[in-house]
Amino acid sequence: MGNKQTIFTDEQLDAYQDCTFFTRKEILRLHGRYHELAPHLVPMDYTNDPDVKVPLALIVNMPELKENPFRNRIVESFSEDGQGNLSFNDFVDMFSVLSETAPRELKAIYAFKIYDFNVDNYICKEDLEKTLNRLTKEELTPEEVNLVCEKAIEEADLDGDSKLSFADFENMISRAPDFLR
Amino acid sequence: MSARARFQAIRSLHMNRVNSVKLSKTILAADCRQQVSQVKSEMQFLNTDLSLSSFTFLKVLHDISGLISPLFQSFRRFRASLASARQHLIIWQGTLKEIGGRFGTSVLSYFLFLKWLLKFNLFSLIVNFCFITIPQIVHAPNISSITGFRGLELLTGVGYFNQTVLFYGGYNGEVIVSKPAYNMQLAYFFTVAAYLVLCGVSLIYSMSRSFQKNFVLETGPVSGGAWRLLCSWDFSVVNAKAIQYNKNNLAIQLKVHTCSCLLHLSLHLLAWLLSLGLALGSGAGIYFLGTDPELAFSFNHDPSDLGAEASTLLLPVVVSLINLIVPLLYSLISKIESYSNPRTKIYISIVRNVILKMSILGILCFYWLNFVPNNISVGCWESFVGQSVYRLLIIDFIFCLLGIFFGEFLRNVIGTMCIQSLGVPEFDIARNVLDLIYAQTLAWIGIYFSPLLPVMQVLKLFIIFYMKKISLSMNCQPPKHTGRAAQIQTVFIALLFFPSFVGALSMVAFTVWSLKPSGQCGPFQGLDTPFHIIFNWTDSLPENHWVGWIFENILRSELFYYLISLIVLVITYFLWQITQGRKQLIKTLREGIVNVSAEIVRTSL
Repeated sequence: MGNKQTIFTDEQLDAYQDCTFFTRKEILRLHGRYHELAPHLVPMDYTNDPDVKVPLALIVNMPELKENPFRNRIVESFSEDGQGNLSFNDFVDMFSVLSETAPRELKAIYAFKIYDFNVDNYICKEDLEKTLNRLTKEELTPEEVNLVCEKAIEEADLDGDSKLSFADFENMISRAPDFLR
Repeated sequence: MSARARFQAIRSLHMNRVNSVKLSKTILAADCRQQVSQVKSEMQFLNTDLSLSSFTFLKVLHDISGLISPLFQSFRRFRASLASARQHLIIWQGTLKEIGGRFGTSVLSYFLFLKWLLKFNLFSLIVNFCFITIPQIVHAPNISSITGFRGLELLTGVGYFNQTVLFYGGYNGEVIVSKPAYNMQLAYFFTVAAYLVLCGVSLIYSMSRSFQKNFVLETGPVSGGAWRLLCSWDFSVVNAKAIQYNKNNLAIQLKVHTCSCLLHLSLHLLAWLLSLGLALGSGAGIYFLGTDPELAFSFNHDPSDLGAEASTLLLPVVVSLINLIVPLLYSLISKIESYSNPRTKIYISIVRNVILKMSILGILCFYWLNFVPNNISVGCWESFVGQSVYRLLIIDFIFCLLGIFFGEFLRNVIGTMCIQSLGVPEFDIARNVLDLIYAQTLAWIGIYFSPLLPVMQVLKLFIIFYMKKISLSMNCQPPKHTGRAAQIQTVFIALLFFPSFVGALSMVAFTVWSLKPSGQCGPFQGLDTPFHIIFNWTDSLPENHWVGWIFENILRSELFYYLISLIVLVITYFLWQITQGRKQLIKTLREGIVNVSAEIVRTSL
């Protein structure tokens, strides 16, 4: 389209535009941010698909994620190896899902994975307790934490197995329109 | 793998939650991207989600689209370039993101509401300017008396502005001789009518969309602990202090939620009596002040008297003072009550403030429509009403700026330096949004009487946006009880439609339908009611013209309206029955889930 950028080939940019919710300019800007995180690691030229991963510790220092209570879980959920090392594709995927234009159903899928700390496809009571502690910075007593988590499971669990499956979670999210707007 | 098998792989990826559902090219090979991109484009196009049914539908679409694939490609490219071009048109995007990051989604919703109102007024300005003002300026009418420009006109709107195109009186109803002939009367009438109808349609559409998204399926626990824990965290906040603040609030809310409070019925009754009494009192006060003949009409006797001109500002100042002080009294009153649910508190305070503002506006409209047209000393009564609205808007704007200075800046200084226990003021979203709705109601009322009023409203909204943003950053903290921002937004849109727009529309409709326009000025001079121009126009059309036929046989016949009402009622009944049936289905399905899992547990034992 007349842009003289040499970071990506045109096909690559088209592919990114198709597979994410970003425009061309935003993808190039994202690459700039990715490069800033680790300039010695990330090449400027991506035309031949280098296999480069930026470690977790560098990504969670981004200003957008720095204060997020779930930053580690977010980065881990999008990484292929589950340890939080993101390639550029994972990086773009993450911000695409977190952006405003992504549909709520997609965000709900990832929110479930983020809240599922022990990665067993269910949000059990321990996951909820960890969530609560992250959100309130340990100001509640253990009895209160216990009470809130029990109430939460009681309210949201539909099939009675005392943990939340994705269907339970999605059912609750669908009645909460403020979720991740 | 064949293309079809890969497509199945996408579907199974969605259902299998072990690995991430990636739409990136590392997992899928190159020619799969097309299917993925079609998934995405259909998702965006049809606004569907990644559910099983849509995948099956897309599979069919994929088979068909293999034939017209090159067309799809160029269409996709075009849409991508449209998306990037559209980004340039969004104003204030960076600022809004910053506000959302520091204060959260509910405060952001105030600014989004402001931006939305700005769009209405810009549209009105463009439409009025192009269709009414420019033709009038090009063919200027004879102005009988011009007074020199004195500074006070900017506040009062009389004098120099009296005969300009700012007000109704500056227009006349000539047919401009050009090719084709441009009938100013019809232009004035239809421009205002078309704008109001478009506003109404847009409001109804936004309201129903918002209602559908935010109020649907309100069964089951929605303000309980599960919701608060999992759904209420505002992820758009990135500022460290704000996040700490939100964490504290969540802890407090969870603690408070675990206990239950008593309702003090008598306190509630007392509070309601006081509030309604205050509203009635304000209404009566404004009525007597407004109908005081010396105060209201003294200016018309002597147009060059500065003192009389300044006295016309008394009524707007009193109205703005009431709008400023009484809501504060309401919040004091609500402190003595106790609510089990902070959401109830917000809704009740909104209702009380709406009652106050609408009663003030109602009294003013009643006065304008009943007393002013019959008063002989007022030359051009529509211009008089337009000037009153103009004064109200300007004084409201000045008081808003004063309110920012005193209410937020000084209060912040007092709260942090002098009386530490008061703390930093909270940004009261409900009160600010209701002020915006009040101003917009005035603007809508004034459109008929003063076509260029949107200029002032646009300038005002622009300035208020920046002032509020600066004041927010310097002085305020986010409100403590946010919760359900989406539902409160629906309530605001509904309030903008129901008392505000409908009231303004009925007032303009009443003016056009049954009031006699003033005889010496304006585009409708000499007619019985402004609506008669339609009759004159259809009479002047040639026989059997289709417009005349539609007007005579459809719009003026009662049978048409009976039939339409009947059809609408029948359709409403059908849709209501469908809703009831669906509610029943949901209940049955929910019971089914419990039964199925109980079965599984039983058979596995």
